[in-house]
Amino acid sequence: MNVAVLLKQTPDTESVIRIASDGKSVVTDDLKWVVNPYDEFAVEAALRLKEKHGGSVTVISCGPQRVVESIRTALAMGADTGVLIDDPALEGSDSLGVAMALAAAVKEINPDVVLCGSRAVDYDMAQRGPMVAELLGWPHLAMAVSMESDGKTVTIDRPIEGGKVVLESSLPAVVTFGGSHAVWNPRYASLPGIMKAKKKPLAVKKLADLGVDGSQAGTARVTMTSLEMPVARAAGKVIDGGLDTAGKATELVRALHEEAKVI
Amino acid sequence: MASKFAGRRNLDFLLYEVHDIEGLFSLSYFEDHSRQTCDLAIDTAMKLARNLLYPYFKEMDEREPVFEEGQVKVHPIVKTMMKQWGEGGWLSSSLPFEVGGQQLPVAVHMACSHLFGAANFPATGYSGLTTGAAHLILSHGTDEMKDMYIPKMLAGLWQGTMAMTEPQAGSSLSDLASRATPTGRGYYKIRGQKIFISAGDHDGVENVVHMMLAKIDGGPPGVKGISLFLVPKKRPEADGTLEPNDVTATTVYHKLGYRGCPITQLSFGDGDSCRGYLVGEPHRGLSYMFQMMNEARLGVGMQAASIASAAYYASLEYAAQRLQGRKLSSKDPSLPQVPIIEHPDIRRMLFFQRAITEGSLSLLLQCALYADLARAGDVRDRERYELLLDLLTPVAKSYPSENGILSVSQGLQILGGYGYCREFPLEQYYRDIRIHAIHEGTTGIQGMDLLGRKVMMKSGRALEFFAGEVQKAIGEAEAFEELKPYCTRLQEALEKCRAATMHRLTFAMKGQMEIFLADATLYLELFGILAVAWQWLLQAVAASKGLRDDCSDRNKNFYKGKLHTMKYYFHYEVVKIQGLAARLLESDALMVEMDNSLFDD
Repeated sequence: MNVAVLLKQTPDTESVIRIASDGKSVVTDDLKWVVNPYDEFAVEAALRLKEKHGGSVTVISCGPQRVVESIRTALAMGADTGVLIDDPALEGSDSLGVAMALAAAVKEINPDVVLCGSRAVDYDMAQRGPMVAELLGWPHLAMAVSMESDGKTVTIDRPIEGGKVVLESSLPAVVTFGGSHAVWNPRYASLPGIMKAKKKPLAVKKLADLGVDGSQAGTARVTMTSLEMPVARAAGKVIDGGLDTAGKATELVRALHEEAKVI
Repeated sequence: MASKFAGRRNLDFLLYEVHDIEGLFSLSYFEDHSRQTCDLAIDTAMKLARNLLYPYFKEMDEREPVFEEGQVKVHPIVKTMMKQWGEGGWLSSSLPFEVGGQQLPVAVHMACSHLFGAANFPATGYSGLTTGAAHLILSHGTDEMKDMYIPKMLAGLWQGTMAMTEPQAGSSLSDLASRATPTGRGYYKIRGQKIFISAGDHDGVENVVHMMLAKIDGGPPGVKGISLFLVPKKRPEADGTLEPNDVTATTVYHKLGYRGCPITQLSFGDGDSCRGYLVGEPHRGLSYMFQMMNEARLGVGMQAASIASAAYYASLEYAAQRLQGRKLSSKDPSLPQVPIIEHPDIRRMLFFQRAITEGSLSLLLQCALYADLARAGDVRDRERYELLLDLLTPVAKSYPSENGILSVSQGLQILGGYGYCREFPLEQYYRDIRIHAIHEGTTGIQGMDLLGRKVMMKSGRALEFFAGEVQKAIGEAEAFEELKPYCTRLQEALEKCRAATMHRLTFAMKGQMEIFLADATLYLELFGILAVAWQWLLQAVAASKGLRDDCSDRNKNFYKGKLHTMKYYFHYEVVKIQGLAARLLESDALMVEMDNSLFDD
């Protein structure tokens, strides 16, 4: 069974994020980059499929050279090959443009199933999986917390309010992953795995290599107009001012009524 | 629990900017490695530390090992940890490829063990000893031993130990009483008692492999009669089954800290059927064991620095959040309280911790680099690296251990009353770190090793090489105007150390060995401050280079923080050398020429 995993490199969730001076991007200079945690679940699910059915796991990603490190991480976990689509045309692109590039790379490999995180921890677009499925014309099973396959069909569980739903589809299909670290418990790369990963094939491609029109994939239809940090919480107010208990209560009622306007 | 226990940025700075370990990758032994493989290894170690080790730091302390029905029972997660370490190749990371290792530089192996130790020091007792014991078998064991024991040990299924201490022979190894009687059947019969054996028995593994010191019947007295034996708890038979080998755990100790790992008392040969297998040549056991001991000493230093790191970050996080008091310059009670990190005395305690932690880490990675170069560097320089490593091992073991205690204590102090409570992690760090000045050779033993052996060996060449390294660092630092005053201070510290060394050696030359070594611990303390000052100057050079080259705002803060910590170290710590040198340059024999009746009261 051949599996493709779509992998995005995102800032480490422990990184301190700062908004750049343009107000619509983040400062990337000294960020620590990691595999998007939801995509790591997909890598784990892919390796479990491979253990059961044989075949191979290909990791596909878009982005600059630094993304190689994240692809190698997946290779060190046990994936077999990597594809990096590194094309300057994609720099100003949007989710659809990236999906076009990914879908084209998937077509070249022609896998039985495509797996990826349901969302990325950077911008939370949650579009990549559904868009790639649409472009491929394949069914899409979203937000899986478990997955089984007999090689012909794929079945997933998804938690819903108060219960769970079980979905089944024929293959090929796209499955996106939800859940948590505790649910998927993705394996750690091993040191021998890290040494082997260095020698595993990793192809770097341009859009043209995949037959994708750079002007189309590189044109953003959706643009980010601003980024904002959460509003800082104002300091609390202590009512004291030398008042007695009754005075404090009166002042509290006044403040709640006139300042906070909650009563 | 605090959100951070170790600084990844700091680790990258020390490995790549201060110690330039990328230089190793051009050596043929390390040619399969690159910054990418090392970064991936460190990233993965960080994940393991964060997800597998840190969550059990407190729980393993609270559920300490118990001795029930002749069996030591430990927290069930120990089994998982050992398995993960084994499967991931962590127990063999710096061993050569041909024995199944990954040939990682020792510096990278140490960086990874720093992350493990900062997350959960007691857990690293199991792994560190297994790696050390396996390495010892690889170096001196027979092929049969290697085939039979190493794969299981490196897979994390069998525990390794270092079985030296006995009730009457702790620091004084020449008084060992464990006996080995030749049988002529390929093994010796072993009898003896061992105490304080870390991970000496537990149910997180299938078997325990003791690297045990004992004396062969009829051998020479003293340390020259000590041999090394491999003594398994259970003997592997030809059919793969495990037979009991008459090794009995008799108790576990109830300790101040380090509770996640059992320290055991063991009895060998009570039923007269304990078999031991000689490792290497008879009577040379101690010299073999020193290989494991020297590695373990650096490991101890690293674990002390790692605990100090975790305590530093926990107290830093607290100091930034805890509101208490106002600036002395604005005592208006109507103003809101300020975070305590605003107070100079709190800052002093934070810088103290940072200076100790990062200075120790730098010294330890320097030693690791010497180990790598002694193994794989230019053949003509190898002896120099070996001598530097030998000289600095007692310093790199004891400086973090002794100063780590003080450092964690200051971290606890920052939390005030909360620091003394079990709801906060500082009290555990304080208990955990205390062992390091004791095990693998107490600070007193390290002092005597440094002054009595290392300084004197090869006609003092190691000390001259060390002085050369310090001088080199001063030369590099002089290129930066801001560092010049500290070059002068380091030069003065080096001269003080030289003078103290010469003065103490005059007693040795006169044969007054008691007086010569009476203050060896103070000499070690002085040497430690000098060595860490050298490391801080090296860090300041790297930070100055970073600031000179274009860098982002965040990197700028990091480098400036490094320079500030370096200044702290010179202004607050290096000055202590003057007091120590003053004492070491005196000639009295206060601790020697006295009668114990002076203690009567």
